[in-house]
Amino acid sequence: MIAGDLFHRQPLLRELKEVNYLFGSLSKTQVVLAAGNHDYIKKNSYYRTFVWSPNVHMILSSEISHIELAELDTAIYGLSYYEKEKSEPLYEKIQIKDNCSYRILLAHGGDEKHLPFRKRYVEAAGFDYVALGHIHKPQELSPNRMIYAGALEPIDKNDTGRHGLVKGSLKNSGCRTEFVPVAFREYIHMDIEVSEDMTGYALRTQIEQEIQKQGVQNLYQVILKGFKDPEVQFDLYHMDTFGNIVGIVDDTIPAFDFLKLLANNRDNLMGKYIERFGDAELTSVEYQALCEGVRALLETKRG
Amino acid sequence: MMRLLELDIKNFGKFHNRNIELYDGLHLVYGENESGKSTIHTFIRAMLFGLERKRGRGSANDTFSRYEPWDNENYYAGGLQFECGGKRFSLQRNFDKYSKKASLVCVTDGEQMSVEDGDLDMLLDGLSSSSYENTLYIGQLHAPTTQELASELKNYAASYYVAGDSEINLAAAIENLFTKKKAVDKEIKKAIHEKQKKRESIGQEASYVWRDIHHMDDKIESIKKELELREVKEEESPREKELENEWVKKRFTDALRPAKWRIHPFEIIGILALIVFAFLLLPNPWNSFVTVVVALLGAIYVWNRMKIGKRAERTESEEILEEMIPEEELVSTDKLIWELEHLTEERKEKQIEYDNLQEQLQEQDELGDEYQKLDRKREALLLAAKQLEDTSSDMQKQLTGLLNQKASEIIERITGGKYKRLVADVNLHMSLVGEGRLVAMEQVSQGTLEQIYFALRMAVAEVLYQEKYPVVLDDTFAFYDDGRLKETLKWLAGCGRQVILFSCQKREEEIMKRNGIHYAKTVL
Repeated sequence: MIAGDLFHRQPLLRELKEVNYLFGSLSKTQVVLAAGNHDYIKKNSYYRTFVWSPNVHMILSSEISHIELAELDTAIYGLSYYEKEKSEPLYEKIQIKDNCSYRILLAHGGDEKHLPFRKRYVEAAGFDYVALGHIHKPQELSPNRMIYAGALEPIDKNDTGRHGLVKGSLKNSGCRTEFVPVAFREYIHMDIEVSEDMTGYALRTQIEQEIQKQGVQNLYQVILKGFKDPEVQFDLYHMDTFGNIVGIVDDTIPAFDFLKLLANNRDNLMGKYIERFGDAELTSVEYQALCEGVRALLETKRG
Repeated sequence: MMRLLELDIKNFGKFHNRNIELYDGLHLVYGENESGKSTIHTFIRAMLFGLERKRGRGSANDTFSRYEPWDNENYYAGGLQFECGGKRFSLQRNFDKYSKKASLVCVTDGEQMSVEDGDLDMLLDGLSSSSYENTLYIGQLHAPTTQELASELKNYAASYYVAGDSEINLAAAIENLFTKKKAVDKEIKKAIHEKQKKRESIGQEASYVWRDIHHMDDKIESIKKELELREVKEEESPREKELENEWVKKRFTDALRPAKWRIHPFEIIGILALIVFAFLLLPNPWNSFVTVVVALLGAIYVWNRMKIGKRAERTESEEILEEMIPEEELVSTDKLIWELEHLTEERKEKQIEYDNLQEQLQEQDELGDEYQKLDRKREALLLAAKQLEDTSSDMQKQLTGLLNQKASEIIERITGGKYKRLVADVNLHMSLVGEGRLVAMEQVSQGTLEQIYFALRMAVAEVLYQEKYPVVLDDTFAFYDDGRLKETLKWLAGCGRQVILFSCQKREEEIMKRNGIHYAKTVL
């Protein structure tokens, strides 16, 4: 069950041939797919004319329609995108038109611009399972019944967490699903708590150890948090020991002791400057300006 | 509070081994004209700040040469004992060009200090020779020194503030921020450039694909043309046959010839037969001649036939086709049709590839997190610079306020309440408020003018320096009336500073005596 966006852009014929060959080599499996908002069916899309292997079924209609897999006594509902965006709530008003024992909805989207739907309306339509696509992060809207499987492999550095597929079995007693992690790599946003006494070398070592702990095969977006010594400048270009760091974001806050600075400089420019910022939020631009200003004053101090 | 304790004038101007002890509070140095009062206060200044020679022509009558000792000019030296921060110091200087040096010892704890390394500057805490002259040394109002004083004040308020043992330098800090901003700008530019490069590389890829598409379009076009041409030919072919039939009537040999043959075998056999016949049947010597002629004619005929075959029509599109497909003449219509289909497929594929690249290109327009972070840093740096400047200008205003307050207090004391307020702006443009009205500077007498500057200088000294430095007054009071002189001396006695008062008149002493103002006295 492929709930749209099998391709990120318009598929080329040779790509379709490739994937069709792979699908065709599945001996006991029926494949059902629809086009999503990324591989939507353009005027010249190969989806319109491509002839799939007998075990592959594509729902080409732009309105809700269904196909029946007689062997499995199952009807699968769904639609394909014909444009990048579609904001009508088509999934909320599905008419059941089959006589099969099992019924599955293959749906793509769910956000404001891509066929939005409210869970209870879809639930009320009487599907045994709703296979959702569009959102890359796996998530369950309703256990065993309505699940975004997510991308098989993460495809963006913000696509964190585990990725894989949803395996389900549909019986008279209902649907049972389980998540099968198949992704080889994960993107991990790794927060590193920096302390005031940390040197560049110590930081590098800590990142190294953290990565080893969480798996060298994964890809890391490192985020430095906490307070660092205002005098220390980390060389962020030389922290990538294993070649798997996507980027390092320095969100640390220079550990100026503003209270002490203020006490020692109450009547001079530095004191007045610090007072001027009052209690700026730690994450605000004002706070950053406060730190930069104090740093500049300290760096240019005479004597 | 800083106090000068003892001047040890070893050899300076007219003085030789002259020792002057100075006392707390008011110290009157009385001397008639030319008794060396100016020499003494120049000596004090030279001891505190050194005595630099001017270069070139200026050196002829600079301070250095004015006070060069009258006797033994290679020995140009002196000593100064002073107290600062509760400790006693002994400062020795040699001014002459050969043995120029300065030494400083803290007498209280015997520590040898270094003038070169700035120990004296540290004790004087930011006081420079020019600021000393502008504030603490008060002579008569010969020239308007206000401009210098104003710039001193401005410099002070705007650029740095004394803060414990370290100084803050506003201009440098702001410069520092702008340098950092420039670095960030550069990084932003680099990020944009990189993005641009990425975009260009996608654009280039797209342009390659586009070129392929056009190449294919050309091919498709020419194949189509060729196919059309062939179709037309086929349509025309029945009529062509008719024409050919007419032709046959004229040249029956053509009819005998199979369609694809240029020369029929019978023709060749016929020619050969004719040659043999001519050779055998004709009598000698004619036969060989005729045989050659017949053979030649046969050869010409065959040649001509071959030429007709070569002359077969070739269109422009065919020529293009020939370039593309080497075995043009062998290309069958079926193959061309297949080729056309194939090309059309491939072209569609390329078109999709091209569209995908364009889509990718559009997505490139969004700038990433890194850019946002840089932009934010830039914003923070600019904000920091602005806030620093605002803070400083606020402080300057505050300082001016403070200055006005102090100066007003002094002028009110001196004038016995006639003028209540002295208002100076940042540039030290002043006005007086007295008896409920504003009095312009031009309207007041010379004496009052002197008093205004006195008040201002003392106020500036109070506001600028945390340390209470000694004040040197050099015949300051010539224009003061007795009443205001009395008030001024009273104020000086209570101002918490050491006051060294040079005078060539007895007036000050008399007033002090009469009013019970405590003072010490040295007569030159």
